[in-house]
Amino acid sequence: MQEYSSQAAYDRGEAVCVIGAGAAGLIAVKNLRENGFEVDCYERDTVLGGLWNPENQHSPLYPNTHLVTSRSQTEIPDFPMPDDWPDYPSASQMLDYLKRYASHFGLAEHIWYGSEISHVEPVEGSRFEVVVKPAAGSAARRLRYGAVIIATGHHWVPNLPSYPGQDGFRGTVLHSSQLKDGSRLRGKSVLVVGGGNSGIDIACEAAVNAAECVHSVRRGYWYLPKYLGGEPADYALARLRRRPSWLRGFLTDRLLKGHRELSARMGMEAPDHRHTDEEPIRNGRYLEHVGDGSIRRRPDVARFDGGEVAFTDGTTVRPDVVVLATGYKPKIACCPPGLLGVEGDSAHPKLLARMFSPRVETLAVAGLVEPGVGTLPIVHWQTHAISHWLHIRKGDPERAANFRQQVVSESAQYAVDSTGISPRHQLAVDAEEYLAGLGRIIDTLEQEPVK
Amino acid sequence: MSLQAWVRRTRVPEPASVRREIAVVEPADLLDVEAKDDPEASPVLCCTGESAGAAAFSALWLKRIAGSGRYAAAVSVRGQGNTPAAPGGVEARAHDLVQAAIGLPRQAVLVGHGAGAAWAALAAARYPAAALVLVAPHKLPKQPPKPVGDPKVLLAVDESDAQSKEAQAITDAYGVAPLTFPGVSGDVFTGPGAEGLLDTILSWLGRRD
Ligand SMILES: Cc1cc2nc3c(=O)[nH]c(=O)nc-3n(C[C@H](O)[C@H](O)[C@H](O)COP(=O)(O)OP(=O)(O)OC[C@H]3O[C@@H](n4cnc5c(N)ncnc54)[C@H](O)[C@@H]3O)c2cc1C
Ligand SMILES: NC(=O)c1ccc[n+]([C@@H]2O[C@H](COP(=O)([O-])OP(=O)(O)OC[C@H]3O[C@@H](n4cnc5c(N)ncnc54)[C@H](OP(=O)(O)O)[C@@H]3O)[C@@H](O)[C@H]2O)c1
Repeated sequence: MQEYSSQAAYDRGEAVCVIGAGAAGLIAVKNLRENGFEVDCYERDTVLGGLWNPENQHSPLYPNTHLVTSRSQTEIPDFPMPDDWPDYPSASQMLDYLKRYASHFGLAEHIWYGSEISHVEPVEGSRFEVVVKPAAGSAARRLRYGAVIIATGHHWVPNLPSYPGQDGFRGTVLHSSQLKDGSRLRGKSVLVVGGGNSGIDIACEAAVNAAECVHSVRRGYWYLPKYLGGEPADYALARLRRRPSWLRGFLTDRLLKGHRELSARMGMEAPDHRHTDEEPIRNGRYLEHVGDGSIRRRPDVARFDGGEVAFTDGTTVRPDVVVLATGYKPKIACCPPGLLGVEGDSAHPKLLARMFSPRVETLAVAGLVEPGVGTLPIVHWQTHAISHWLHIRKGDPERAANFRQQVVSESAQYAVDSTGISPRHQLAVDAEEYLAGLGRIIDTLEQEPVK
Repeated sequence: MSLQAWVRRTRVPEPASVRREIAVVEPADLLDVEAKDDPEASPVLCCTGESAGAAAFSALWLKRIAGSGRYAAAVSVRGQGNTPAAPGGVEARAHDLVQAAIGLPRQAVLVGHGAGAAWAALAAARYPAAALVLVAPHKLPKQPPKPVGDPKVLLAVDESDAQSKEAQAITDAYGVAPLTFPGVSGDVFTGPGAEGLLDTILSWLGRRD
């Protein structure tokens, strides 16, 4: 911090600092403003919309990205998407939607672009000092805020496996986020590694555009189509939650059975988890491409060898392009790890109710969850809760202390049951439980205190 | 809207989409008046329970609202004016109103007249209106849902209705004193009484408090 200390920090009083102008940052700004807070939002890129904006330098969008969650399950609760949009809008519609949201609520005037936050640090008890990374040639700026909300997303740092012999491989190896342009696959022999939604989508893209597509998957997953029982699949499944639990299990099984049997028939490993424990695959074309042979399935990669890749079952291929769709590592570089609960035995953030810092009351993170359902509504309710919390903690210390206790006890409730080892599983929550917990938190915050 | 109400809504079928008739007058459209366009002022979106829908606001309201510097719009919900009929009760009409609101350039004031006031009240529980104006409300739910985003609320009732049970219930629900205007509710759309009412609403909207 030495290098910054020559210049005094500019004090923004009780204003709140939001880091990132992706979906989560925008929703945070809107909800904070609605609760009467002054807000400064810092975005390191020159555009809003985060990963949905292909102009964002590091956007991970790949050819033909469409939502995997349906419109009614994805839209922000108090600003629906136009109801003449398709069930599964495209990435460019999603960006258009976020831009409309920002202009409708006048958010742009609170955003500072080209401003990467390099460091946040608690000062004077519960206030924060925030350092804006200097552009070339100018000095770093330091500002003080009453609170900080981190909304930097978690799809920026590729999670890259390394295999024996990979350095000597003669073909191209790239991460799914580097693909961008589908023409790189045309006419090539392609190997896709990873069984998340990116891997599945890209395998389907290669199935129609590449000369050959081999897909390496290391575990069993739920392969769901985008429609089930004549309705968007996530809606059809969510709707069953209204049924009594004894009936729900039966009806859910009935909806999922066909695809489960089909993937078993194709020799795919059965999932070792419930469909709500991990984000399911949502792509109706995948099983058809496997069924017509345009995607050939293989187990985990064992090693690379010159121009060849060998799998754990002993088979080999000679791909021109290897796409590693192996996910991302959540990384919040601007914040001291201890503030996020990364300490001692925990290498991953341990936030209270998956959003509040366990150390400082005025620090929260929005969107650091993998709920397996639409993310935007979850972020809406998170930031609704955070804004209310910032409101009452000032006025009513006793209530604030009780609330804190509730949040700690809530935090234990939404663990999922998964044997997955890649980073995404650390962020997974059972969406139903998590939303119920958020509901309880919001009820407590909105209730008039009993006097 | 509460989280619980939102969860319930995401688990029932969405009302069928209809092509909605929306009438718009922007301050810049008014050639004859020297209207100042105030980009800071919230747009106003009107609806009425009467079957004419958006057209009811064309004679006077939209021009006068635009004359005050605001983007003025009115929507015909399903079955009104030139919007085709489609299934769905009050919830679907509130949906139509929210859909019209999100299409406006900025956060809008919702004005509901007659049965339209009930739709506006429901819509304001889903969409953070810049303000909520209920004119001669009719058939409002007994316990109207809490508006989101805490907008200011104006209740305008016909003099003769001021003491009615319905007006009283709404007054209690929103905690606002009703503003009364003379005349029968039929002439809220034209005539000098309508102009007076509208000017009161516009000056209330412009007031900072
Ligand atoms: C390919 C793909 C498809 C997806 N599809 C769906 C889907 O169908 N449905 C769904 O609900 N979710 C989907 N998601 C999940 C997605 O994460 C959310 O929809 C949502 O976009 C997350 O928004 P965010 O604001 O949290 O993150 P981001 O969009 O990543 O935004 C973070 C912003 O913070 C900025 N930033 C980062 N660090 C700093 C810093 N230090 N200082 C200043 N600014 C910073 C970044 O530039 C970026 O603009 C998908 C994700 C991916 C990768
Ligand atoms: N169209 C869309 O809307 C869309 C498309 C793509 C992605 N998304 C979302 O974006 C997020 C990221 O998706 P993603 O698919 O990029 O990543 P992801 O969900 O993290 O999936 C990564 C996949 O790679 C596997 N993997 C990880 N490390 C590996 C290794 N060392 N060797 C072999 N396999 C390995 C994982 O296996 P494990 O099973 O062991 O974890 C998993 O199958 C998710 O939230 C996803 O839902 C949405």
